[in-house]
Amino acid sequence: MSAATTRKQPFLNRERRRILYAFLAGIILFIIGELVRPGFASPSGIRAILVVASFVGIVAAGQTFVILIGGIDLSVPWVLNAGAILMVTSSLGHDARAIPALALTLGMGAAVGALNGAGVALLGIPAVVMTLAMNGIMQGLTLGLSGGMTCTSCGAYAPPVVQAAVHHSFLGLPIVLWIWIAIIIVVSFLLAMTRFGRMTYTVGNNARASHLAGIHVSGVTIVLYALSGFFSALAGIMLVGFGGQAALGMGDPYLFQSIAAVVIGGVYILGGRGHYLGSVAGAISLTVLVSVLLAFNMPDYGRSIVYGVVILALLLLYGREEENG
Amino acid sequence: MPIPETILAASGPRRSRLSHALTQNIGLALVVALLVACIILYCGLYIATQHRLPGGYELTSTLNNTMPLAFAALAQTLVVLTRGIDLSVGGVIDLTNAVAALTLMGGPVSTTIWTIAILGIGALCGLLNGVLVAVGRLQPILVTLSTLSIFQGIAIKILPQPGGAMPPGFTGVLANPNVPLSLIYIPLIGILWAIFRRTRLGVSVFAIGNDAMAASSHGISVKRTTILAYMLGGVASACAGLFLAANATAGDATTGDTYTLTSIVAAVLGGVSLFGGRGSGLGALFGAFVTVMVVNILFFAHIDPLYQTFYEGLFLLAAVIAANVIGQIVRRRR
Amino acid sequence: MTIAAVEAVDIGKAYGGVAALTKASFTAQAGEVHALVGENGAGKSTLIKIMGGRVRPDSGEIRIGGQAVSLNGPQAAHHLGAWTVFQELTLLPWMTVAENLLLQQEPRSSLGLISRQATLRDADALLARYGVMHIDPRALVEDISLAERQTVEIVRAVSHAPKILFLDEPTSSLVEREVEWLFGQIRRLREQGCSIVFTSHRWAEIRSIADRITIFRGGADVGTFTDIDEDEAVRLMTGRRVEALYPPLTPRPAAAPVMLEARSLSGPNLRQVSFALHQGEVLGVGGLAGHGHRELFRTVFGDAHASGGTLTVQGKEKKFRSPRAAIASGIALVPEDRKTEGLLLRMSVRDNASLAILKRLTRFGILKPQEERRAAQHVVDSLRVRTAGIGLAVGALSGGNQQKVLLGRWLETECQILLLYDVTRGVDVATKHEIYELVASLARSGHAILFYSSDAEELAHLCHRVLVMREGVVAAELHAPGITAEDIVSAAVRDHRAA
Repeated sequence: MSAATTRKQPFLNRERRRILYAFLAGIILFIIGELVRPGFASPSGIRAILVVASFVGIVAAGQTFVILIGGIDLSVPWVLNAGAILMVTSSLGHDARAIPALALTLGMGAAVGALNGAGVALLGIPAVVMTLAMNGIMQGLTLGLSGGMTCTSCGAYAPPVVQAAVHHSFLGLPIVLWIWIAIIIVVSFLLAMTRFGRMTYTVGNNARASHLAGIHVSGVTIVLYALSGFFSALAGIMLVGFGGQAALGMGDPYLFQSIAAVVIGGVYILGGRGHYLGSVAGAISLTVLVSVLLAFNMPDYGRSIVYGVVILALLLLYGREEENG
Repeated sequence: MPIPETILAASGPRRSRLSHALTQNIGLALVVALLVACIILYCGLYIATQHRLPGGYELTSTLNNTMPLAFAALAQTLVVLTRGIDLSVGGVIDLTNAVAALTLMGGPVSTTIWTIAILGIGALCGLLNGVLVAVGRLQPILVTLSTLSIFQGIAIKILPQPGGAMPPGFTGVLANPNVPLSLIYIPLIGILWAIFRRTRLGVSVFAIGNDAMAASSHGISVKRTTILAYMLGGVASACAGLFLAANATAGDATTGDTYTLTSIVAAVLGGVSLFGGRGSGLGALFGAFVTVMVVNILFFAHIDPLYQTFYEGLFLLAAVIAANVIGQIVRRRR
Repeated sequence: MTIAAVEAVDIGKAYGGVAALTKASFTAQAGEVHALVGENGAGKSTLIKIMGGRVRPDSGEIRIGGQAVSLNGPQAAHHLGAWTVFQELTLLPWMTVAENLLLQQEPRSSLGLISRQATLRDADALLARYGVMHIDPRALVEDISLAERQTVEIVRAVSHAPKILFLDEPTSSLVEREVEWLFGQIRRLREQGCSIVFTSHRWAEIRSIADRITIFRGGADVGTFTDIDEDEAVRLMTGRRVEALYPPLTPRPAAAPVMLEARSLSGPNLRQVSFALHQGEVLGVGGLAGHGHRELFRTVFGDAHASGGTLTVQGKEKKFRSPRAAIASGIALVPEDRKTEGLLLRMSVRDNASLAILKRLTRFGILKPQEERRAAQHVVDSLRVRTAGIGLAVGALSGGNQQKVLLGRWLETECQILLLYDVTRGVDVATKHEIYELVASLARSGHAILFYSSDAEELAHLCHRVLVMREGVVAAELHAPGITAEDIVSAAVRDHRAA
């Protein structure tokens, strides 16, 4: 028989190698940070960086889902922001209201995401246009309904339980990191071991072939976008827990960072290949990079430049298209 | 030459020129209709609230507010036609705007030289994008996302605080506050686009957006065309930066940021297909005007400005869905 | 001995370890029409792509006018006077016929700009010069029919006054009159000393136009002939006798129930199509490319919506809104292009084989890896898929084995009605034989099979009945025994416009 049939699949295939690279990049950056500023990579330093990375990582979970089917979610900033504001205004800082407020906020995120998915899957609107418009819609609604953050309830704090979830520790780890670990396990399991995960990859590989094999392509698409909205809202909740209060524009950095994390982690931007673990590695590396640049006392503009250069360098290293691909 | 034995005869009369022109430029026709509707609605609202017709001031300010977006949309269109997307449009505008604030302060000669130099900076930015996409074989969305960050960083480094004062002559030409001088830029863009469309480069840009493989088999260099398209896009973004500086009479290294997304909106409204190969710079120009007119309409309709982006988002979705539906009907009726 | 116009010497080419060509050679003289014949998968198309500069060979040599040449792109071939009409057309869909015809040689105005007026005028003149009056140069390519696109592509190649012209399956979508037109062009070029090399499946055409014939099998040439009868040619192409390639046709049971019935099915490119498909029957569908088969299969499978007519499955009227609904009614489709519509090339054999039965392989939505592996292994074993393992990406398999995985996916679903669309395209002879055996045995075991093929020979040998479609209508219905490939082709190309 031909040579192809005798070729074995190596354990470290391209995708796994990329995840490894992304983690290695994070470790190297930790070492550089430690050299520049001793104590950078101390347990508490690492913990602090991981907490910040977890916010990016949670948004990146949603972004991973939609990028796996060749989509993109540009509505992240204002779904996140709306989630944060909805959380404080609906709970008014009371623990008793925390549960309904959580449900309401996460439900809002999922519903907005589902609308994105419906626009993409049912109306055939390009994902860039649909989620871009949705970002504007959410921004307008958030600003308008909160009166530009002037409403009386807008200044409320996050319920103490939510704040505690971010700041308190359990077995030496902040609870927010336990939550992230749980998300990593659940999302990875969902993608690798369930029918839904399998359908996600098949749709991302070839939506047409999936459709002809009887996969409910539009249904899968809607659920994936809903998940993206859900995780954006969750990140919003975590961020108000972290900072105590909501603010306008707090979601803006997370669009760029979530996409960058996903891509650095080796998820293919046109869909079909990649793992959430890669996005996790990407989120950590990016956050460490920012921290290292801060340790260098690098001003804002310098960070912005280095950020872009590093992402380009990583992409050139392993994100290139095949020739004539 | 002897006439071949078999002739494949026509079975009926051909469709008229007009019918071809209309169905093949349905996107352009729709955006023109949209613009006319916007203008009528705007005038109606204006009369209802101000009890008079909008005059020269309204025309001038609308034109001056639109020109930066028009060029940004043109930049986006050039790249989108090649099946790419340029998220760095806002970064290039920031950068050129900042450089303009720093350098445009002397007499007409120095201003002219620096203006040309700034267009060159735009071309260089586009060159970087184009080379990374065509030679580096990276996805356009990732390349331009990264360069956006780089260009924004450089812009802030150059101009940490808003400032600089544009020479009156410069402002007078690009964004004259008193007379609707910008009116001449609309036919100018139209003519430039018509010329571009009639050059080998223009045809090549469309061809690689249609099917890069087929285009290359007819001798079109995909790499060269891609790089040139990004470079021209960079120049158009630089124009946007200059017009923005002129209109604001000062420089600001962050005001360009919003143009990344609004340029996509304007191009999409103008009937440019995000899947490449279809669309027109003229459509993008009109799309830019529609985008600005919608803001004006919301203002005179006394919509709470806080809700502005909400209505813009809804409008974009409605326009895209309507264009889809009308496009399908037109195709089916043929 | 004169110098040959074009020569291919021992060309070899492999894709991902699978050999498409091993040692393929042919020689064509100036003023000669040379036919390359062979089965689907014999490597003819790959060879044409290599000769046209589209694909680079791994080994061997191309000689043009006696000189060894290296073609690093179609442009290089054009410079040497060699033009090619590839099977996958290279027209730009959203540009006009005129723009396509004059691409890269547009007429300029005095300002040095491309003149649209002159482009249209020149294109019109060009089409008229070659006797093509039915195509409007203002039309977009995506709006004209497949046959018209083929014609435009041929005109474009011919207009360059080629010294060598390669045509890959130029007649596959043309009706009789258009074929006649093409042959007129070919004869004229031959008189002018051009060397024309073409591939075709239609034996009658090859006989009427070719001066010499080179036969290919399994990626290599097996001989060049000036006069060869069809039986001998088929023997050389397949390496076995025709009768041995196809299993004997088992007569279908007389009183078999109707499994699938279409009544006056209409839709885009589909007009009033009616047929009944019985249990245990192989119902063939034939005709030229672009005449409604694709639409028929898509409509029956719920992938396209009928504008009129009814579909009945096992006595119940159905309106499928999606393939999912059709699958739930026990229908399966093996689509036209297995690479873009069937398989997930980067995913494993296992993932591809289990795709249609995922529901059965999960509990509470969680996959049962053991059972999935078993199901995939069952596909591999029962269809004798040659693969190193079920974890291998399906794209790394040969065409024949890919097709088996796709067939196996559906056989795991216990479907009753199989829609097979050109399943042997690009498949090697041995696998073809296996697929024929499989189709016959599936019919014997009570499956109802709707079988489209671009190969009339296949239809003639394998089907109980054959529906020949032309312009979206069932133009003829042929009954076994006694169907011949010629019957099918002549029913397909009979041109109502010719008279």
